[in-house]
Amino acid sequence: MPAPVRIGPAEQKLIEQLSAAGASAAAERLGAVGLPTRKVESYHYTDLKMLLRAVPELAGAGKALSEPAFRIPGAHRVPVTNGAADIAGEMPPGMRATIVHGAALTERDDVLVRLNSALAAQTLKLEIHSRATQVVHIDRRTEAEGPAHMNDSVHLFVADGSKATVIETFSGTDETHLSNHASYVAVGTGAELTHILLDLSSGQSTNLATAEYQVGAGARIRTLTIHVGSALSRINLFARFVGEGATGDFTGLNLTTDGQHSDITLELTHAVPHCTAKPLFKQVARGRSTAAFQGKIVVARDAQKTDAKLMMQGLMLSDEAQILSKPELEIFADDVVCGHGSTVGALDEDSMFYLTSRGIPRAVAESMLTRGFLEEVLDPIADEELHIALEGVVENWLSGS
Amino acid sequence: MTTPMLEIRNLHARIEDRDILKGVNLVIPAGQVHAVMGRNGSGKSTLSYVLAGKEDYEVTQGEVLLDGEDILGLDPSERAAKGLFLAFQYPVEVPGVATMTFLKAAINAQRKARGEGEVTTPDFMRAVKDADHDLHIDGDMLKRALNVGFSGGEKKRAEILQMALLKPKMCVLDETDSGLDIDALRIVSDGVNALRDPYRSMLVITHYQRLLNHIVPDVVHVFSDGRVVESGGKELALELEAKGYAEFDEAAA
Repeated sequence: MPAPVRIGPAEQKLIEQLSAAGASAAAERLGAVGLPTRKVESYHYTDLKMLLRAVPELAGAGKALSEPAFRIPGAHRVPVTNGAADIAGEMPPGMRATIVHGAALTERDDVLVRLNSALAAQTLKLEIHSRATQVVHIDRRTEAEGPAHMNDSVHLFVADGSKATVIETFSGTDETHLSNHASYVAVGTGAELTHILLDLSSGQSTNLATAEYQVGAGARIRTLTIHVGSALSRINLFARFVGEGATGDFTGLNLTTDGQHSDITLELTHAVPHCTAKPLFKQVARGRSTAAFQGKIVVARDAQKTDAKLMMQGLMLSDEAQILSKPELEIFADDVVCGHGSTVGALDEDSMFYLTSRGIPRAVAESMLTRGFLEEVLDPIADEELHIALEGVVENWLSGS
Repeated sequence: MTTPMLEIRNLHARIEDRDILKGVNLVIPAGQVHAVMGRNGSGKSTLSYVLAGKEDYEVTQGEVLLDGEDILGLDPSERAAKGLFLAFQYPVEVPGVATMTFLKAAINAQRKARGEGEVTTPDFMRAVKDADHDLHIDGDMLKRALNVGFSGGEKKRAEILQMALLKPKMCVLDETDSGLDIDALRIVSDGVNALRDPYRSMLVITHYQRLLNHIVPDVVHVFSDGRVVESGGKELALELEAKGYAEFDEAAA
């Protein structure tokens, strides 16, 4: 029999919060196993037991205190403050917003999912029935004077044949918040969705998020997961092809700066045949920081003719920076094309010499080359205003130190 | 006596533990075009890299004066700001950086060094048009990633366009003829010739005489085993072409 796990103060607090919310099974489970350590494979690079030092009190009802972290001209904005969505405003044609009791994620053996499912009181459900691509900004904030533990939940439903671009941002007041976000995204048959998750939360906060994607037949999805904000970040991406002939471009930019630890973990399941996926994740780390990416592709026995290529590329801008990446393939079908590649390096010295030999100072050349490294991921974002806004986020990151 | 544009005094340089330059002496007065000829491996390209400040090389002895000022302590961008330009033998491909973005950054860096504001897009486009002459750098090339997928000719034309835009006072052209067919060679040479100016000097590095039919030098230097072993007028290039480099190895020994 395994020795009982020592429960630390952060875990104790979470157990109390789960119990108070009536989630006795989740509380019991956490009491028995604790937060995941590096021995749990899916948390290998992010030992939450060690990294999560304190859990604040649960957030109460909140009102907007912080400045908007992100604005996209022409986009329809839906604010979600401390989990409560404001859907009073008029919705664009073909869009319907409702508030549903409880959380949105599918049950799954993951601590972030268990916490969110137990603690998120309500879910913003957004249904999109429209062939005209409308940009929607779900502005998710943790707003409190003083640290708060906040769980919120969004359910996005893109109807068959519909098109949409949805960006969800995470931000809030500059406190040591613990935020745990959930997004459940269903993409209907033949639908097209661009879905962006952008962590702009305060530099002292902990930001946790889980996005679950169900992709229907013939659908096309592009996702872009960006970390720039929080001190400690873990983002789970669970994607599943459930209809044949779908295409998924799952992409990410994991940018870390001094003192940050950010982990993006993708698990992509091909449950059906004839789907194509090209996950591409880029990480840039500077100062003393850690950027981690894990990508796992699971191909079910029936998912013949799967075409999946996972690519992860890292760029280290300082000697103290750490970039970790781990690709995994689990293939049960026998007629598939699957591959993965992983590279990590510093900026190319020949390129640096070329740029500086034209009078461009070293720091500017570094920033241009880093920007160039990220271009491949930003370039496919078709909406011009959104593209410009995202470029701004990256430029800001590059000009910070 | 007027200050030469470039003066190289007893320059010694090495890469890792290998001595490449072994006492180069060279003086280029303002407005003159000098050619350095030598066989592969004689150290010609090293000379161009050392002048531009590539980090891999260690200067162990000597001085390089640009317009009277020692530049060996400066990094590559500072040397460029002082008016030195190296046209690369193999221009580097830089994925993800649009040629236009790069050119703007280079111009703005130069303007900043002079205390001027950033160039506006219309002014920039006008400057590119003025610099282009017959180089035929079109808008499509400007939008593409720097040198990525450019043909050999396009890369060299882009180098000359940069030279024309940045208006350096000292141009070093490293094997600008390599990889060019006859037509491309003519276009590139015309581009270079258009930039000849009483206040601008050029150092043309090549191992074929044919480039010097197009860019006619004032002085030709023969380079062997890391130094200049012979200097003369443009007819020296013809003599080299006829006799080969072996004749001059004696002088180096």
